Amino acid sequence: MSEKIYACLLRLFPSHFRESYGDQALQLFRDRARNEKGFFAHLRLWLDLLADLAISVPRQYLYVRPAFTGAAAQDRMQGAPAFFVLVDKSPGAASLIFGCAFSMIALSFFSILLIHAGNNRPSSASIHQPEHATDSRVSALGQATGQPPGDANDVIANAHGVNPGEVMHNYSQSTSLLPRLPVALPRQLQDAAQRKRLINAVIDNLNKHYVDPDAARKTAVALLTHEKNGDDDQVTNGEAFANLLTKQIREVSHDMHLEVVYSQAPLPNLLPEPAAENLARYRKALEHDNCTFEKVEILTHNIGYLKLNAFPDPRVCHATATAAMASLNPADAIIFDLRDNRGGYSSMVSQIAAYLFDHPEYMYDPRESPTQQSWTRSPVAGNRLADKPIYVLTSHSTVSAAEQFCYDLKMLKRVTVVGETTRGSAHAGVFHRLDDHFGMGIPETKVINPFSKTDWEGVGVEPDVKVNAAEALETAEKLAESRLQKK
Amino acid sequence: MPKRKLDPLPSAAFQILLVLAGEDLHGYGIMRQVAEQTDSRMRLGPGTLYSSIQTLLEAKLIEELDQREDAKLGQERRRYYRLTSAGRKLARSEAERLADLLRVARTRKILRGDYV
Repeated sequence: MSEKIYACLLRLFPSHFRESYGDQALQLFRDRARNEKGFFAHLRLWLDLLADLAISVPRQYLYVRPAFTGAAAQDRMQGAPAFFVLVDKSPGAASLIFGCAFSMIALSFFSILLIHAGNNRPSSASIHQPEHATDSRVSALGQATGQPPGDANDVIANAHGVNPGEVMHNYSQSTSLLPRLPVALPRQLQDAAQRKRLINAVIDNLNKHYVDPDAARKTAVALLTHEKNGDDDQVTNGEAFANLLTKQIREVSHDMHLEVVYSQAPLPNLLPEPAAENLARYRKALEHDNCTFEKVEILTHNIGYLKLNAFPDPRVCHATATAAMASLNPADAIIFDLRDNRGGYSSMVSQIAAYLFDHPEYMYDPRESPTQQSWTRSPVAGNRLADKPIYVLTSHSTVSAAEQFCYDLKMLKRVTVVGETTRGSAHAGVFHRLDDHFGMGIPETKVINPFSKTDWEGVGVEPDVKVNAAEALETAEKLAESRLQKK
Repeated sequence: MPKRKLDPLPSAAFQILLVLAGEDLHGYGIMRQVAEQTDSRMRLGPGTLYSSIQTLLEAKLIEELDQREDAKLGQERRRYYRLTSAGRKLARSEAERLADLLRVARTRKILRGDYV
C-alpha cells in the first residue's frame, strides 16, 4: 500500500528523472520500509520522503540537462534558434485526444470571438477612408473628418503616399500622417469627463505651442468658462465638439489657423518614418511622371506654356525644373497653367520664381519662418525670362504651394493671374495629437506678411482677370498676344 | 534556468563521494552509509540521492557499474556506483578545503582540540 502511494508520488518528478531513477527510487523506498519497522521509524520514513519530495521535485524541474545547454550554446553560436523537446517520451493516446479536443474548443472559441467582433464593425460604406496619406497640416485632416477624397485641399503625399499626380506638400517638419486605418470607433463622446479631458489637452497644447502665449492664456480661460457654463454639455458628437471648440478658440484668439479636428479613424500615436523603399518608389514615380511638368511648349506668337500640376520636391526634380524653364527661355511671354496644381514644396516655388526676376525676391510663405530658400536665387545664369510678361492660370482647385506662387508673384506685381479664385488653403497650423480621435492645428510661428495683413487662407487668391477656368488659357493667350503686339 | 553545478560541492554530493571512496555501493547502501557517517543527521531521500547521483554521473565523478545482487538485501538486482579518479580528486580537494577552514576556525579559537 505504502509503496503504491510512493509510486504515485514519484509521478511528480519529470519523466526524464522517472525513467532513469524511478525504479531505483522505489527500490530504495522498499529497502527502507523493510528495514525501518515500527510506528516511529515509519513516521520518520514518510517525513523524510515528503521533505525530500518538496526539495527535489522543484530542483528536477529547474534542472537543465547538459546535453541541452551544450547543444543550445552551439546553435546560438551558429546564429540559429534552437528548439528542444524536454520530454523524451512521445505523448500517450490520452494526451493526444485531450490535445485534439482542446484545440477544437480553442478554435471554435476564437471563431465565435472573431464573428462577434466582426459584427461590431460598421459596414465599409460608412467608413470614410482617406485616399492618401495626408499632409501633416490641419486642413489635410479634412480627409479623415469627412471631406471627399481627392479634394484639392488634400494636398498630400510626401514620401509616404507616393502619387506624384496628386502632388506633395512639404509644409511642415513636425508632421503627423494619417494612415488608412480600417477601424472606426464610436463617434459619440462618452461623457463630461471626456470633454473635460479634451479641453485640458487643448489648453495644454495651446500653452505649450501657440505663438502668442498671452492669447493662449485668454483662450484657455474662455474655454474653461464655456465648459463651466455648460455650453459644451449638449454636444456628444465628436465632430460637432471639435467644431464647437474651434469656434470658441477663434472667438477669443481671432486666429483662423487655430483649429480642433476630429478624426473618426484613430490618429496614429507615433509618426511613421518614411521607409527607404517608399522614398525610392516616390522618387521613381515622380521621375516617371516628369515631376508633374505635364506640358512644356511654345505656343503661337512665341508664347511659352508650362502646365505644372505640382511644385514637386526639388531634391528629386531640380533638373527637370531647370530643363523645363530653359526650354521656355526663347519665349516672349510665359503662361503658367496651375489650374490642376495641387501644391507641393515651397522651395520649388522659389526655384521656379527665380527665373522671373533679375534680383533675389522674398517668397512669403505663411507656413514657415523664412529660410535661405525663401529668397529666389535670381538672377539665373543664361535666363532671359526675367522681364517677360507672365500669366498664371488658376482654378478653384489651385491650392496650397500653387497659391503661394500666385499670391507672392501677384503681390510683387510680377504676374497676371487669369482664371478663378483659388481654393484658399494656407495650412498654417502644425498638427498636434490630443487623443486617439482629436487633434488640433496650432500656428507655432508667426511669419510676417510683407504684402498685406491677411494671406489667402480661407479666401483664396483673387485673379486679376476673372474667367472660368476652362477659358483661362484662351484669355491669357489673347492678353499676351495683344501685349506683345503693343511692344 | 539555472544549471546545477558542483561548485561549490553540495554536501549531499560530498557525502556520496566519501561513501564511494570506501567501496562500490548501490543507492540504498549509499543512503545508509551517509546516515551512519553523519550520525543520522543526513538521511538522503530518494529524490535528493538520485538527483545527486545524476549530477555526479554527468560530471564523471562517479560511474555506473553493472547491476548485481546484494546478498544482504535479497535477490533484487541493484545498480552499483563507483568513484572515478576525478571524483576522488575532487573529494580530496574538498576535504582539504574543509581542513583549511578548520585550521582557520581553530586559530580564531572557535574550535578546540588538536585533531586536524
